Amino acid sequence: MSVRSRRLEEKIFIILSGASAIFTAFILIVILGTITISGLPSINLQYLTSAEASLQGAGSGVANAIIGTIYLSLFSVAISLPLALSLAIYLKRYAKDTYVTRFIRLLIEVFSGTPSIIVGVVGLILICLYLKPITGGWSLLSGSIALAILILPVVERSIEVAIDTVPLELEDASYALGANKWHTIRGITLPCAISGIIAGTVFGIGRAAEESAVVALTTGYSQYMPEYSIGHNSKLLFGIQIYPFQDAIGSLPMAIYNSFQYPMFESSGGGFRAAFILILIILIINMSARLILRRWKIG
Amino acid sequence: MWNAQSVGKYIEGTFLKTRVKNSTGHTSAEYFIFAGTIISLFVITLFLFFIIWEALPVFKSEGFGFITGTVWNYTTNQYGILIFIVSTIAITVVTMLLACPLSLLTAIFLAEFAPARVSNIIMPMVELLIGIPSIVYGLFGLSFLYYFVQFDIKPFIGSTLGFIPIFANGSPNTGQSLLLASLILTVMVLPTITILSLEAMRSVPREYIDASNALGATKWETIKKVIIPTAKPGIIAGILLGLMRAMGETMAVVMLTGNTFQMPTSILDTGYAMTSKILMDITFYYGIPSGRSALMGIALVLFVMEFLILVLVKAMGARFK
Repeated sequence: MSVRSRRLEEKIFIILSGASAIFTAFILIVILGTITISGLPSINLQYLTSAEASLQGAGSGVANAIIGTIYLSLFSVAISLPLALSLAIYLKRYAKDTYVTRFIRLLIEVFSGTPSIIVGVVGLILICLYLKPITGGWSLLSGSIALAILILPVVERSIEVAIDTVPLELEDASYALGANKWHTIRGITLPCAISGIIAGTVFGIGRAAEESAVVALTTGYSQYMPEYSIGHNSKLLFGIQIYPFQDAIGSLPMAIYNSFQYPMFESSGGGFRAAFILILIILIINMSARLILRRWKIG
Repeated sequence: MWNAQSVGKYIEGTFLKTRVKNSTGHTSAEYFIFAGTIISLFVITLFLFFIIWEALPVFKSEGFGFITGTVWNYTTNQYGILIFIVSTIAITVVTMLLACPLSLLTAIFLAEFAPARVSNIIMPMVELLIGIPSIVYGLFGLSFLYYFVQFDIKPFIGSTLGFIPIFANGSPNTGQSLLLASLILTVMVLPTITILSLEAMRSVPREYIDASNALGATKWETIKKVIIPTAKPGIIAGILLGLMRAMGETMAVVMLTGNTFQMPTSILDTGYAMTSKILMDITFYYGIPSGRSALMGIALVLFVMEFLILVLVKAMGARFK
């Protein structure tokens, strides 16, 4: 091949790959632009601060959905974090390298590849149906448990990565000073990995906030603001129903989904309003995770 | 006697790697960690077994016909999921055909050609695409791309390539189609493939590239003959992970495929993906034991498909390590 045709081939591919990259950026701008243009103008203070039920028309208020999404993501991470943390510490620092632990790792990996709809459908039958006396059917509690199961491998994985970055010399120094295993983990490993652990947790919150298939099948939807009281319900355990945990709750993904499911009640502009707020929330969550990782980087 | 101490000793003797000589047994925090581990493993195992357990009845009653059947009827208890499988596979294949070239070229550009200033702008944008929730993608597809597909893309493909059956425009009155779902899924899997292949390309040893340059290769020849072959396992893993995401996606697919129960023959036809079927029907039919089992059967088949891809990813990783 002549030098000329080689140069030509290179030029063609520079143009092709550059065009792809620009096209990718263009897609993002179009999507964010569409949502902002259709959603932002109709957002006002009343929309943000009222529950859907307190105003006329479907999709007229979003406060119940915002609070619901915040509750769901925080509670699911609260359930998931202790489990993920202990699983990661066990696998990284206590487990022997045997077939059993290799199998456990494979199990977690398979589980993290499970589509969210499967988590949702198992959550629906196992948590909402079979455990109804405890969880209250479609409820905040059911949704949080199902989401916790969904994000468990995500959070666990990022904690493992964070533990991997801890310099082994520091741990050896700790052992050399006579500290035992747990003291080393508590005094050296966890403090060194803390930024990664927090970032992983925050990513977990974001993952739970954006999830819609699981939420659609396990939390139900409520147009009202969550209540805070204890009521009577003979179908539940001990005959008491604890609000808001054992009650259906609104969420932003469901608010958007409703605008698709019931287009006769609501214009798609309503969906875009909620979508804009959801994207904003997730953007803030992901940004703060990134900032935490950057600011607190050790070593 | 079983008490906390002896349970701890048992766990220690069975599972623990090392014993620090001067430690006096385990602290309560450590028992907390073991308990957390056992609970999470129990939950995961329960979860996986539960899918199989719930799906078992439909496989007993339908046998292999569950996968090859094309009838789905709750009143006569006939369940066959071929239409859903075909729809899901068609959507996934079209998605990958669109997403792979686009994201690989983007990754090549960001890794090799782009000056740092440009890639510092484009990289965060690609990462932003991950952060958009799938339901928002669905909404965007439905109220924007829908009309574009209906009035521009479908007539164009139908009139130019329509003589080939898989490009025939059989339903010109709707934008919902396998193609529309694939277009949105392309955007959804694009960042996954781009970022993972970019990482793989960036981890190619500098010496290889220098050696190729020293032999007089142009930049593109270095990419073609050195970087891509070396980064291949990482690139393939990225593609397969993107494939898993496309296959398991629910919300966007539910909103965009049309959900009509007929065998799609063209990518411009409406279809009914496996994930959509589960989501649309489970809340209405979980009370019917056979229907519930059939829907869990779809979940199991989907799970097995994803599992096989994951095994492929693992096998790739093992072979190239």
